[in-house]
Amino acid sequence: MSRDTPGKDVVVLGLGNLLMSDEGIGVRLVQQLYHSADEFPAVDFVDAGAGGLAVLHHIQGRSKAIIIDCAYMGEPPGAIKKFTPCEVVSTKTITNLSLHEADLLRIVDMARQLGQCPDEIIIFGIEPQVVKPGCELSKILADRFDEYVTMIRRELED
Amino acid sequence: TIVSRICGICSITHSLAATKAVEKALGLEVSEQVDKVRILMHYAEQLQTHILHIGYLAVPDFFGVPSVIPLVARAGDVVKTIIRLHRLGNEWSELIGGRTTHPITLRPGGLTKIPTEQQFRQLQQQLKNSIADLKTVLNAALSVAGNIPDFERETEYVSLRQDAPPTYTFYHGDITSTDYDGVVAVDDWKTVANEYVTDQSTAKWAKWHRDCYAVGALARFNNNADLLSPLAKDFAESLGLKKGCHNPFMNTIVQLVECAHLVETAVELIDGLLVDGLKQEKVIKVKPKAGRASGCVEAPRGVLFHEYEFDSKGNCVAADICIPTNQNHANIQKDFESLVPQIISQGEDAVRQKLEMLVRAYDPCVSCSTHMLDVKFVK
Repeated sequence: MSRDTPGKDVVVLGLGNLLMSDEGIGVRLVQQLYHSADEFPAVDFVDAGAGGLAVLHHIQGRSKAIIIDCAYMGEPPGAIKKFTPCEVVSTKTITNLSLHEADLLRIVDMARQLGQCPDEIIIFGIEPQVVKPGCELSKILADRFDEYVTMIRRELED
Repeated sequence: TIVSRICGICSITHSLAATKAVEKALGLEVSEQVDKVRILMHYAEQLQTHILHIGYLAVPDFFGVPSVIPLVARAGDVVKTIIRLHRLGNEWSELIGGRTTHPITLRPGGLTKIPTEQQFRQLQQQLKNSIADLKTVLNAALSVAGNIPDFERETEYVSLRQDAPPTYTFYHGDITSTDYDGVVAVDDWKTVANEYVTDQSTAKWAKWHRDCYAVGALARFNNNADLLSPLAKDFAESLGLKKGCHNPFMNTIVQLVECAHLVETAVELIDGLLVDGLKQEKVIKVKPKAGRASGCVEAPRGVLFHEYEFDSKGNCVAADICIPTNQNHANIQKDFESLVPQIISQGEDAVRQKLEMLVRAYDPCVSCSTHMLDVKFVK
């Protein structure tokens, strides 16, 4: 699933860590959406894991990227919000000491400066309830899982 | 595997060290083809993390910018080249390991899947094409070479050494050092690492013939430079690198030299595989038995040891892992103690910047060894 297919205009990236409970929601959703891949021949569904700078490779050359990730947005747990990179400000700082701290919004900004950014980027953020070691979603997110899938499918059908 | 999850950067390396240890403990011997494909898998990750470190973490220092993002405006073409090379490392890892990180094709006793001849030929062409990109990065490195701090401190450099056949090794061989003419068997790695605790750190330190030692690209180079590929030797020469280099900041530069070696040698390895003809092989069936063994490979940032013990039912009853960043801790501390008096008059910002650069030069694998500190000056 994670292999990029040349020529597909749209990519859906699921970000997250499946071993950290709700933090893995993006990956779980893209895994679920992949079962419907035949309905969306122009769309690549990519499990981008913890993301990082490899996000640059996945979005390069696309016209549209849909990124699904767990996000602290100050919303009630389970809430899903659709936004573009321009609508939010990252509160994370990059210290440059570690390889593991690449910030999604800064990566998108970097792609834009390099002329390698899709025209349209949509982010689906899902407010977590539990982010700690564990392989299951919290009940709140698990109960709303189908609703998330429907919302993202609607974005693909538009 | 669980051990692959130790690190999201060098997951292939951890998986290979563990697999080697498990196979040795259980008496499994894999075919030459499996061995070669695993080395290619390992090379993929070496290239990926070297480029990540050089391009995203170290190069901004040399250009005098805080991160790679402002570097886009200063040297956009170099950044694009770095991204292309990093992508090659990721795609190469995915082709052989089954996914970019946390490989799924690796099993004790073999590989569940290997690429087709056509996929190998495509990869080989991509590797040949990447040499031009590596030369672009080399030229960028040469253009900022004057910004590499001129600092030297003699220390012991520890790495793998492979004599049969003589190889600039990342995968096979025994342990050697610049202070020791012979080699120590991997199973005896504890006589090399001699891990100990110190009051000033929550991490273990390591020492062998001195009070500290260094591992990583510079250690490999100082022990095995004669065995580099022709292109890598050209890179080293143009960068003024010679065996016996004691400047830790040059570790990053040696990583670039190693990238040239990895690409050139991988092209040859693929030739060898294709000339022999790819064979479909099954993973050797594992029969549980009691045993204990260690496995070692060179992580991008230095020698990595895994040790496992199994009971007669195949249960793992003991495990020990010694990572390269851990082995570098004491050496970094000694570098600090030597460097700080030389630069203390340059002011806090310059001191902080140089010390950060020094830590970065070791390419520390933060997820498996340490956590970032917020440094305050004590006057």
